[in-house]
Amino acid sequence: MERKIPLPILLMAILGFCFLLFPILIVVLAGLTTGEFLTFPPKGLSLRWVISFLNSEKYLSAFFFSFKLALMTMVVSTALGTAAALFLARSRFVGHAALRAFFLSPVVLPGVVVGFALYAFFITSGMGVSRTIWGLWIGHILYSTPYVIGTVGASLATFDVSLEEAARSLGASPMRAFRKVTFPNIAQGVQAGSIFAFIVSFGQFEVSLFLSAPNSEPLPIAMYNSLRYKFEPDAAAAGIFAITLVIASVLLTNRLVNIRRLLDRQDV
Amino acid sequence: MAGAKKNLIAGLSQHQFKWLLVVPLVAFFVLFFVIPVGLLLATSFNPAKVGQVAFVADLSLDNYIRFFSRSNYLMAAGRSVFLASIVSVITLVIAYPMAFVIAKTEHPARNTFLLILVLSSMQLDMVIRLYGMMVILGDNGLINQILKGMGLTEGPVALMYNFRGVVLGLVQFSLPFMILTLVGVIKAIPPSLEEAARSLGASRRRAFMRVTLPASMPGILSGSLLVFALSISSYIVPALMGGFRVGVLPIHIYQQVAESARFQFGATIAVILFLISATAVAIYLRLGNRSSGGLA
Repeated sequence: MERKIPLPILLMAILGFCFLLFPILIVVLAGLTTGEFLTFPPKGLSLRWVISFLNSEKYLSAFFFSFKLALMTMVVSTALGTAAALFLARSRFVGHAALRAFFLSPVVLPGVVVGFALYAFFITSGMGVSRTIWGLWIGHILYSTPYVIGTVGASLATFDVSLEEAARSLGASPMRAFRKVTFPNIAQGVQAGSIFAFIVSFGQFEVSLFLSAPNSEPLPIAMYNSLRYKFEPDAAAAGIFAITLVIASVLLTNRLVNIRRLLDRQDV
Repeated sequence: MAGAKKNLIAGLSQHQFKWLLVVPLVAFFVLFFVIPVGLLLATSFNPAKVGQVAFVADLSLDNYIRFFSRSNYLMAAGRSVFLASIVSVITLVIAYPMAFVIAKTEHPARNTFLLILVLSSMQLDMVIRLYGMMVILGDNGLINQILKGMGLTEGPVALMYNFRGVVLGLVQFSLPFMILTLVGVIKAIPPSLEEAARSLGASRRRAFMRVTLPASMPGILSGSLLVFALSISSYIVPALMGGFRVGVLPIHIYQQVAESARFQFGATIAVILFLISATAVAIYLRLGNRSSGGLA
């Protein structure tokens, strides 16, 4: 019997996965090394830098700052994004596709430019939020909400609207039909979307660049500022916690919605 | 009659209720996306004045004339476009086999496992991934340690803090986006197409080259445009992998704004970067955002 995947393609794919994953593995090793920096072969493993991270004012506070910011972002992005996804799934009008594209556009537009635009806007408008957690919050919502729209949209695409219509025709109010019928069916998609929103905010760098300040510094910015000058193994230890968080989120997402289906074509 | 009236009211309120769902997000996007970017565009037409942030009612084309008459800014624009193009091509070559393997892995658990690997690396903070890249590619990095240990080189081989390093970093950054775009498209190609070619006597290689690859063309195009838009916009990768020696547009924006407080000229470069990136995104959307949906 012939193999389904030709050997040369399989080998190239394996090399590709190494290129994708090796740097991440290296961060884990660098955070667990015994020495001052990672050497090859590694000198040995220890929890020295993990403990150092847990005691470091700089990285630990940045980690919790990012965590708080990501939670705040998650709440608003989930609410705004779910509502918008419901709207997009339920209506057809001229410019429908354009509106959807508009909501998704921040993901692919330069974060540095949007961050700079927000920074200048905050100063000009006198909102008093430039270089505070509130300004970062606004920027992060802009970049997290598209992921909620995408994920909730995918779960709405498989939801049969006639169920809600049946509830309505049996006399349920729109609100009640939504609460009792629609929401339970898309709840897992909403939860998955909120996890995406959290993790996108937690790892956000580009839009934060112009919006952060020394006393309001998310983890990626704090790591960047130290990485410009030297490799600090406690930064890698902070990275281990971030990697764990991301993998846990993706695993949780996969339990909530089938990620294989999430990636299939959706026209919502 | 009363029933009909009730239905009418219910229908009407449902209709209005629907619009209410989208109003908050539209308001948010207008206030914190459209207006700020519009203001930035307006500011780019203000004469340069160091330290001045706010828009003033004094329009000129000075900044654009400056941008298009100075060779170092034009070269930065050219370098950015060239960099993003190279990255798109290399990413495609590396991502295609990976996407092919994922698409052809039918075992559900294995398929999910591969997707989890790709999604996790995509969602992981780029600074962390670059930390790993820098430990591997730096002058005292793993590769140089190995080369030196084997006696192959005297001094360190410069693998980063140059153009090559930025390309490597951006390819690492873009891979998951390209893979996810391609997986959906390759999956959608009916296997019967390739089987038909085989049964007509084509070799596997020929069937792949003449049937599967052309059928994946929509994904190849949208994936490349997506990667182009993402990599031309990146600040963090050229900053860390290029050590500020590879002057692309995002680096120039940051220098103008944060280091020289020249907001108007920074805004001009930002507008130009925004336009290049938005053009790529517009073509991408035109082609029909096929598979990556809201995720990429």
